[in-house]
Amino acid sequence: MKNTVKARKPVSSQSKFIFFCLLPAILMVGMFTFYPFFRGIGMAFQNYTLFDLTDIHFIGLDNFKTIFEQPQFLQALSNSFYWVFVSLIFQFVIGFILALLLKKPFKGRGVYQGFIFYSWAMSGFLIGIIWRWMLNGQIGVINDLLLKVGLIEERIGFLSDPKWSLASVIVANVWYGIAFFAIMLLAALQSIPDDLYESAGIDGANWFHKLFYVTIPYIMPTIIASTLLRVIWIFNFPDIIYAMTNGGPAGSTHILATYMMDKIMFGGDYGQAGAAGVIMIILLAMYTIFYLTATKSGKGADF
Amino acid sequence: MVRTKRMALFVLTCVMLTSMVMSGCGSSSKDSNDSASKGGGTVTLKMIESLTSPERTEVLKKMLGEFEQQNPGIKVELISPPLQNADTKIATMLAAKEDLDVLEVRDITAKQFVTNKFIEDLKAYTSKWENYKTLNDSAKMSANYIDNTPYYIPYGLYQKILFYRKDFFDAKGLTPPATWQEVYEKGKALTDPAQNRYGYAYRGGAGGDNFTLMITQAFNADQINPDDSMFLKDGKTIFSTPESKQAMDLFTKIYQEASPKDSTNWAFSETVESFVSGVTAMLINDPDVIAVTKEKMKEGTWATAPIPLGPTGKAPRFVGAAGWGMTSYSKHKEEAWKLIEFLSNPDQNLVFAKAVGLIPIHTTAAEDEFFKKGAYQPFIDMNSKSDQYFMMRDATDYKGYGESKKIAVEDNQALILNQRSVDDVLKNWDKYWTDQKANQKK
Repeated sequence: MKNTVKARKPVSSQSKFIFFCLLPAILMVGMFTFYPFFRGIGMAFQNYTLFDLTDIHFIGLDNFKTIFEQPQFLQALSNSFYWVFVSLIFQFVIGFILALLLKKPFKGRGVYQGFIFYSWAMSGFLIGIIWRWMLNGQIGVINDLLLKVGLIEERIGFLSDPKWSLASVIVANVWYGIAFFAIMLLAALQSIPDDLYESAGIDGANWFHKLFYVTIPYIMPTIIASTLLRVIWIFNFPDIIYAMTNGGPAGSTHILATYMMDKIMFGGDYGQAGAAGVIMIILLAMYTIFYLTATKSGKGADF
Repeated sequence: MVRTKRMALFVLTCVMLTSMVMSGCGSSSKDSNDSASKGGGTVTLKMIESLTSPERTEVLKKMLGEFEQQNPGIKVELISPPLQNADTKIATMLAAKEDLDVLEVRDITAKQFVTNKFIEDLKAYTSKWENYKTLNDSAKMSANYIDNTPYYIPYGLYQKILFYRKDFFDAKGLTPPATWQEVYEKGKALTDPAQNRYGYAYRGGAGGDNFTLMITQAFNADQINPDDSMFLKDGKTIFSTPESKQAMDLFTKIYQEASPKDSTNWAFSETVESFVSGVTAMLINDPDVIAVTKEKMKEGTWATAPIPLGPTGKAPRFVGAAGWGMTSYSKHKEEAWKLIEFLSNPDQNLVFAKAVGLIPIHTTAAEDEFFKKGAYQPFIDMNSKSDQYFMMRDATDYKGYGESKKIAVEDNQALILNQRSVDDVLKNWDKYWTDQKANQKK
């Protein structure tokens, strides 16, 4: 007995030390991440509106029922899908092309890189406001240019015509997100050893073979991690839409994140907003599990 | 086993510590404030504003400085959150009973603050206040809107007027429109897409609900219950009448034939920008736009007029208000009232109203030259003809008021884009407000 106590003592003081080192971080994360998280989930099942805080009570699944009955919610759900995947595909493809171009050294590469990464350093709201004025149907510069070039004869209401509005906010989002993929993929590309290409060349591989059998398999882990992250970010990213269209016209550009914000700003209804949030968590959790299972085999190529 | 136990203990400790830290924050700040006020002899008032702008905050700070000079025992600490979400922030602070003494109450937040018992009934103070008598009708009505009790003293009134391009109208030999029908006809005459010029700055986006309501109220006029602006005297909603259908048909035509296509989603800044830059010839907005037009447009190119009338020959006055109130849990109520009284006295109010671009709250201000001529003239005209421009206030005492604004904007967008019919939209609004009424009685 005595022996074991003696043996354990240093371990426990060490773990105490670790515990106290971690404590500030744990407290912060607990207070600012987990407390609001669980509180929000709780609100989803309560009648919780700013209008009358004296009457907060448990109402079961009523909030979920209410929002599922709203056509705007269903539209936001389908919009979220287009918003995420169309944005992601274009961001990834264009970002990847830029990363491939930037891999080879050329004069002024550093400056050029700076320009490409610039969009990533701006706030979403700012980007939204800039694009909102550029795409303005009456005084926007994009319409003006298209008119002068002669591509169109009548101004297009990019943000006021439901046929264009979702595409317009996606364009702004693509512009914003390209830089992220360019940065991540460029870093990964630079880690590929040159001798891999050399030996592939000796085996008679052309440019196309090198891309699909060396480059992409080698950076696969980065691709998986960055696309996974990016999907979650885009899904949760209301800034651009909020600043550009605020979900309009007629709800045609609402995604779940802006729909949830709307519930609070206009309705002051934290219960329904919480319910929308819970649905978002469930969707993202399902997506993450599915995605990680589906890409398990691609844990980097075996060289 | 040991490991899971230890984990559980660890998690528990975290939770306890977190809650301790959180509750600790709250109580310690209260204590410190208490001791300061009792010990030092000076009282620190905490004040929060809502409709903030850098210019306005500066004006307010100057006024507070003057107040502190006159009252050496009182210091005022002003909190100015960014405009977006300021009201949500104030509500959250009030719910957490954070130290606040004086706060900005808006017509749209008053009911919520009263229901949650956040703000104090000011009757005990206003009954002794000598300047209460000179408050004008709109200001008095706004102050007493909830339960006929003065819960705040307005610092100014927002009221819509029509701005028009005098040069465009003169060039076509037109006079400013007096009715909504004329807004349509003259707007259409001024519209020329080839020149990128349109008659009316249509507000289809955020805030557009004010305009659909304004025109429906103008068309229904005498049928409306003056105490319950979304309902008729017979208890039905204002959206149930054939007049409302005419109003919305006309308003849709104003969009489709006399406004820029792009304006489906325009909010405050786009409509003002389009007017100032010469794309649109008419704009209905609040008096704070006068400062913008004065700064950005040449004199003589623009003018103002009363808002258009319905076929009834009447129109709602469309007054909004915001002002100063005090928290129900303030520990320095006497001092807080002193501050509210100071900010609301005729001299200070005039300074504030002029600087921000508002209609002053005291009848004495009508004699001030500034408000007698030029752009402010229509306000005086409208307010002196109270039979023609009847008083109407937003239905802010309904729970669904906030959400109704959003629904009104979205449905109206679907209407003007021909995605939904007038009947369909009006039926939806009718049902919404009927439900609101039914739920309110519960």
